[in-house]
Amino acid sequence: MPTGADTHCPYCALQCAMSLTPAAKPGSDPVPEAPVLEVSGREFPTNRGGLCRKGWTSASLLNHTGRVTEPMLKGSDGVHRPIGWDEALSLVTAAVRDIRKQYGPDAVGVFGGGGLTNEKAYQLGKFARLALGTSRIDYNGRFCMSSAAAAGNRAFGVDRGLPFPVQDLDSASVILLLGSNVAETMPPFVQHLQGARDAGGLIVVDPRRSATAAFTGDGGGIHLQPMPGTDLVLLLGLSHVVVHEGLADKEYLENRTSGYPALVRSLASFWPERVQSITGVPAGLIRETARRLAQGARKGGSYILSGRGVEQHVDGTDTATAAINLSLLLGLPGSARSGYGTLTGQGNGQGGREHGQKSDQLPGYRKITDPAARQHVAKVWGVEESLIPGPGLPAVQFLKSLGQPDGVRCLFVHGANVVVSAPDSGAVLEGLRSLDFLVVCDFFMSETALEADLILPVMQWAEEEGTLTNLEGRVLRRRRALSPPPGVRSELWLMARLAEALEAPGTFSDDPETVFEELRLASEGGLADYSGIDYAMLDRGEEAYWPYPRGSRGTPRLFADGFAHPDGRAVLVPVSPSKRASRNFTDDSLALATGRLLEHYQSGAQTRRVAELLSSQPEARLQLHPAAAASRGIADGDFVEVSNERGRVVCRAELSNAVRPDTVFLPFHFPGLENANRLTEAATDPISGMPEFKTSRVWVRRPASPLDAASVPADAETLLQIEEAS
Amino acid sequence: MSERIVVVGFGPVAARLVDELVPAVRSGLVQLLVIGQEAEAAYNRVMVAEFGVGRTTAEALAIADAAELTANGVEVRLGVKVKRIDRARQQVVLSDGTSPGYDRLVFATGSRPVIPNLRGLNPDPSRPVLPVGVTALRDLRDASVLKEAVAGRKKVVVLGGGVLGLETALAAAEEGAQTTVVHNGPFPLGRNIDRGGGAVLSSSLRAGGVRVAGNARSIGIETAGPDGSFSALLLDDGSAIDGDLLVLSCGVRPRIELAEGCGLPTATGILVDHHLRTYHEPHMFAIGDCAEVRCADTDCLECRNATGPSGLVGPGWRQAEWLAEYLTLLADGGQEAADSLAPLPAEKPGIVVLKARGINLAVAGDNSAEPWDEELLNSGSANGRPRRHVSQWADPEHGRYVKMTTRGGVLEGLVTVGMPRTAAELVLLFERGAELPADRSLLLRLDGPDQLEGAGGANSDPNRTVCRCAGVSGTVIEDAVLDGCSTVPDVSKATRAGTGCGGCHSDIKDIIEKHFQAAPAA
Repeated sequence: MPTGADTHCPYCALQCAMSLTPAAKPGSDPVPEAPVLEVSGREFPTNRGGLCRKGWTSASLLNHTGRVTEPMLKGSDGVHRPIGWDEALSLVTAAVRDIRKQYGPDAVGVFGGGGLTNEKAYQLGKFARLALGTSRIDYNGRFCMSSAAAAGNRAFGVDRGLPFPVQDLDSASVILLLGSNVAETMPPFVQHLQGARDAGGLIVVDPRRSATAAFTGDGGGIHLQPMPGTDLVLLLGLSHVVVHEGLADKEYLENRTSGYPALVRSLASFWPERVQSITGVPAGLIRETARRLAQGARKGGSYILSGRGVEQHVDGTDTATAAINLSLLLGLPGSARSGYGTLTGQGNGQGGREHGQKSDQLPGYRKITDPAARQHVAKVWGVEESLIPGPGLPAVQFLKSLGQPDGVRCLFVHGANVVVSAPDSGAVLEGLRSLDFLVVCDFFMSETALEADLILPVMQWAEEEGTLTNLEGRVLRRRRALSPPPGVRSELWLMARLAEALEAPGTFSDDPETVFEELRLASEGGLADYSGIDYAMLDRGEEAYWPYPRGSRGTPRLFADGFAHPDGRAVLVPVSPSKRASRNFTDDSLALATGRLLEHYQSGAQTRRVAELLSSQPEARLQLHPAAAASRGIADGDFVEVSNERGRVVCRAELSNAVRPDTVFLPFHFPGLENANRLTEAATDPISGMPEFKTSRVWVRRPASPLDAASVPADAETLLQIEEAS
Repeated sequence: MSERIVVVGFGPVAARLVDELVPAVRSGLVQLLVIGQEAEAAYNRVMVAEFGVGRTTAEALAIADAAELTANGVEVRLGVKVKRIDRARQQVVLSDGTSPGYDRLVFATGSRPVIPNLRGLNPDPSRPVLPVGVTALRDLRDASVLKEAVAGRKKVVVLGGGVLGLETALAAAEEGAQTTVVHNGPFPLGRNIDRGGGAVLSSSLRAGGVRVAGNARSIGIETAGPDGSFSALLLDDGSAIDGDLLVLSCGVRPRIELAEGCGLPTATGILVDHHLRTYHEPHMFAIGDCAEVRCADTDCLECRNATGPSGLVGPGWRQAEWLAEYLTLLADGGQEAADSLAPLPAEKPGIVVLKARGINLAVAGDNSAEPWDEELLNSGSANGRPRRHVSQWADPEHGRYVKMTTRGGVLEGLVTVGMPRTAAELVLLFERGAELPADRSLLLRLDGPDQLEGAGGANSDPNRTVCRCAGVSGTVIEDAVLDGCSTVPDVSKATRAGTGCGGCHSDIKDIIEKHFQAAPAA
């Protein structure tokens, strides 16, 4: 029976506070699928009681008819049929043992997600290394925060998305948003931009006139619309102006940074007019932006916030570094009224990247290659250090290895829908189909679950206890508001049972609080130190920003006294555009950027099952400039074919002058023929492993024959969802 | 055995080459010696005018650091002149008395300012001795002379209406110097721009505080200032333009004497093929301002139409990057490996974007045709090649002018003045060779206020979404108000409108107020 609870939204990293209360008993006209819980916004500093449409409707998924409530095994006919948990567990155990014996431990892999609680993410890393003995674990955060994280670590010595509480933004007079469309991705966050908008200081960098970019109208600020893939050059141009016009904070640079002379040399050749001819942003606007940021830094406060738009590129780490360099030149990070941050995307995108779900990492944001870190974690786990495998492969390389000789042959997927969300999704699908055994833990028949040999049904957010770490590095409690359906288990339980069956060293608890207590010890002394945090204090509503060493009061604001490098200084790392980035599209191809809609979250596995959201955004639509459409004979609402050497998407066109004439935009929430990731390239950033999501070269045309268009509504998966959702 | 590479010259183009070669030096593939005549390592020459008016510092102009390069294993010799090159011995003979040998040599000697034939000036191009108060604008020392004049609010006369001259004049005027530009022809930038653009440019310069003396033919200088310094520029009509400083901005000429001295073929610049190799000496190269790409193949269309060194730094940098890759491959895998590298693609005609704060100007390509000029529009349109078309918009009153010359919808020339967004887009379209939208006015409207509407807009459509976060339309809110909601929280409770970012609260309030204002009258 539902009891209700104060918890946080299941979706993005803003983690809006919400209250779940048992729904009023249906009246005389009972509706079988009426939500069992009612959602209401709860007062909290991040969302101030606000929720977006996704949050409001989130409870409708709890008793959704499409929910998987029993383990499902795929038969030889390809149909999934229910089996019991005992059978399911012994099948998995046998498959792991068998494959491990035949091919070695690295033939078993785990792919996690940035939506998992801290407890699950932590235990998943431990499960992979100790129970499976594999180095092959990575997660979908590689597609999300890896570039920003790598840049943050390189410059500051630590990566916490926002090194300050969100409400610090309220008083800023200038906010530079780089490739972030918060009006769609985390609407309640927009409240914190109001101060800057009132001061005319909201500056948005986006090739599209996104909903967020439109806030700069009516005197709200400036919209800079660079060609896709030229953000790095734009940032170098802004830094160039700061240096050459004497706007840099010399004292700060002297006392708090290293590497200034080399940085200055790297900027000399990016004068505004040259940057204009590469980016398409007028030189005057580049100068004005730099001056506004410098004015704000002196008075009122300036913040630079980066998002996936500038990070999800093969030069994402360098682009994020260029943004950090700009902020350091202006003296923003660690100052009282200014700062730099990156806006984390997934619900637990922050916590999920700290505790060992990454291929190169151990809990507490430790490096898996660091002997001291290995010793510490081995001690907490009660095992020999030598039992912990070395670094594995980052997500894109990991997924490329599926079914390959020496690659992964048995895969566990937790909280990810790679068939829709990974780049070059056609190749990923082939990889999954070449596996010997695929286990997917999910609560719906996601596109990835459909490929699984075995689907294991797990709990949804309102059914579980745990913690998440929001975009500010603040640890929050997720609380159970109702019991899960009878056949559903927690992933902690699942890992504990499998560890037992596989005779794993160490202990595996199925109780979230026990796991958190262990996480505290494992993280102690690391960069992301949680050792001073416990459930009781979180339940009292205390603020818990990491690092929170035992006996401390936590760290709402990082860098006030120094940066996390041994000398306490931030490092200015000179970066330059790669030759690849400067390639010009000289024929009639267009630049494709992928992104989000307000109504959907990630691969849409959840939100496409919410009737209200699906009816509002039922399909992928390609945003196309009227001029680009006219020259191709395309009218608004026509079906179009978007293609390149990797794949083909067929969807409707939406004519809009919000995009540049040389650019098209396609949301990535949709499966099948509408899947934007059929077109994206699995090329990755050399440092972070981030794939290129935002600048693919595509050709857009009317489908060759009416048959092509007709195949769209017939797509079985789409029909299934429409049916499920209605 | 690692290869010995000597780079003659240490300007911005050489610096890029050296930077790109550093990995090969570190790995021991290459021994690198770079020789600079100036005392400073490479700095951004493109911005000397900015430095000359006090807008930036010498420190910020640096693009190379000798100590850092030395730490990376590069040998850097500054303040050293190459006296001659001994091709037979493969040695460079230096002013410091040494003669280092080379396996490969790269000329990156750049160019020097043209000293015009004026009475009172020594015309010897290789060692001009200029009177006090007369300077070119090429290096940091020249810039310091200008800087002093600008800081002292002196009268500056700029001779030459080219890009550098205009940039210098505008910047000097903006920083408080009384500045006159003297140019021949009816309008400045005569080599690049058309009449309409030139006229708007002239008036924009005047509006920017620059005096413009057009159609002026200068014949000499007067040195009646203190200590025989410059006092006036004399014109052929007998008039004189007074000033304290004369800045010569009459173009540049490639520095080719070292190449000539050792018998390499030259034209305007040092002649090189598409691999940047000098004629007859495939182990000698030239890049940047001193290089003239013109291969020996008489059928090469690209070289038949080549017009000599562009004088722009962009092409030089691309050459440097390409040559670094080529030289690394040569050192690593020999000629065969190097031959696998695709030759450097041909440069597009240069684009001029004026580096100025007060005036926005972009010019590229051929702008000679006028909208009604049948002869020029039809030129080059034989054999099914489409004819040219010109779209034009002029608003001299407000300092705005755009001309787009297209063939088959693709730009062959562009001029924009006073239209920053249009300029930025047209330059991108020109570089990409992309087709323009059929409705050319789209490109003009980029700078119009209608392109910048806000989130709210003046949209009175009741079906429009009022609350984006919750997806609630005006109609739904009106219905809720009809049902009795009289406050924003009431409406939020009933419809979820206003429960996300709260940005629509004022819109909801407006709907409520409108309803209750109308109610009593009904």
